[in-house]
Amino acid sequence: MPNFFDLNVHAYPETDAPVEELRRVAKRYGYAGIALTNHNESVKERVESNFIITGVEIRANSVLELKRKVTLHWGKVPLLVVHGGDDKLNRAAVEDSRVDILAHPCGENGEGELNHVSVRYAAANGVAIDFNLGALIHNRRGDRARILDKMRETLKLVRKYNAPMILTSNAHSIYDLRAPHEMIALAALFGMSKEEATSALCDIPQGILEKRWKKDREVELL
Amino acid sequence: MKSTMNVLLYMPPSLRERRRYLLFEVMCEQEIDKRDLLKEIWDSIYSLYGDVGASEIKLRLIEYHNREEGKSGVGVLKCAHDKVEEVRASLACIHSVNGARVGIRVIKISGTIKGATRLRR
Repeated sequence: MPNFFDLNVHAYPETDAPVEELRRVAKRYGYAGIALTNHNESVKERVESNFIITGVEIRANSVLELKRKVTLHWGKVPLLVVHGGDDKLNRAAVEDSRVDILAHPCGENGEGELNHVSVRYAAANGVAIDFNLGALIHNRRGDRARILDKMRETLKLVRKYNAPMILTSNAHSIYDLRAPHEMIALAALFGMSKEEATSALCDIPQGILEKRWKKDREVELL
Repeated sequence: MKSTMNVLLYMPPSLRERRRYLLFEVMCEQEIDKRDLLKEIWDSIYSLYGDVGASEIKLRLIEYHNREEGKSGVGVLKCAHDKVEEVRASLACIHSVNGARVGIRVIKISGTIKGATRLRR
C-alpha cells in the first residue's frame, strides 16, 4: 500500500482539534503522515512520532510581510506553506524557492486566480500547487461550481508546465479529514485522473518532505 | 397458476442490473438518525450529479446503525456497479447531518451483501 500524506491540517490551539485525536483518525484512515500547518505559528506541542510533521502556514496581507515571515520561519520548520488567494501573494510565493507549498491558490472559497506565469515559476522553484478539497466539501451549488471551474483551469496549467501538485483537506477538525480513496474520488470531480491523484497524495508529498525538487535546484546553481 | 406468477415476479439473474454494495463508516459528533443520513446522501448526490445522474446511480440504503455511544456508525449502501466512484465522491462531500459534523469513508466494496459485511481476517 502506498504512503498517503495530507499536508495541510490545522490543529489546536487554532482549532478545537487536539493533535492526538487527529493522529488517531488519520492513522485509521490509512495515512502515513499528516502535517500540522497552523497559521503563522507552528504547533508548540511536541509529538514524539514520525507520523506528525510540524509545519507553518504563512498568512500575510502584503508581499513585504510575506517575505519577512518566510525569512523568519525558514529553516526552523520542515514544511513552509503559504496561504494563497491574492494574485500578488500567489506570485510572490511561487517566486520564492524557500516556500514548499502554495496552499489553495484560488483562495479558500475560489476568489483568487493563478495564471500561467505563476505556474511556470512554481515548476522552476519546486513550489507545490495545492488543490484544497475541503472547499469542495464545504461549499454547495454556485460556489462549488466556481471552485471546480478554477481547479480545472489550474490543473490544465499544472499539467502543461509539470509543476508539483498535491491534494489536501485543509481540515479544521477530525470530521474534515477524508480517507485517501475519498480524496481521489473528489479529485476526479475536476478531471484529475486516478494515477495523478494517487501521486499527488503519495509521491509528491514525499518528495516535498525530502526537498527533492529543491536539491535539484541547488545542484544546478553550483 | 401460482408457479407462473412467481416466474414472472422474479427477474432472471441474466437481466438483473449489476450492483455493488458499499460498507461505509460514519464518524459523527452525536448519534444520527438513519433517515436524516439518507436524506443528506441524496442531497449530496443531487447537488453533484443532478436528477439524471442520481437516477443512474440507483442508490439504496440497505442498513445503518450507530455504535460506540453514537460517536460512529456503520452501514451498507447499494449502487450501480459502474458508479462507485461517484458515490464515494458524494459521501465525501457530506460535512454535516442535522447540524452534527460528520466524516464518511468507504471501508469495503463488494458484489454481494455477504461479501461487504464479512469480517476481515
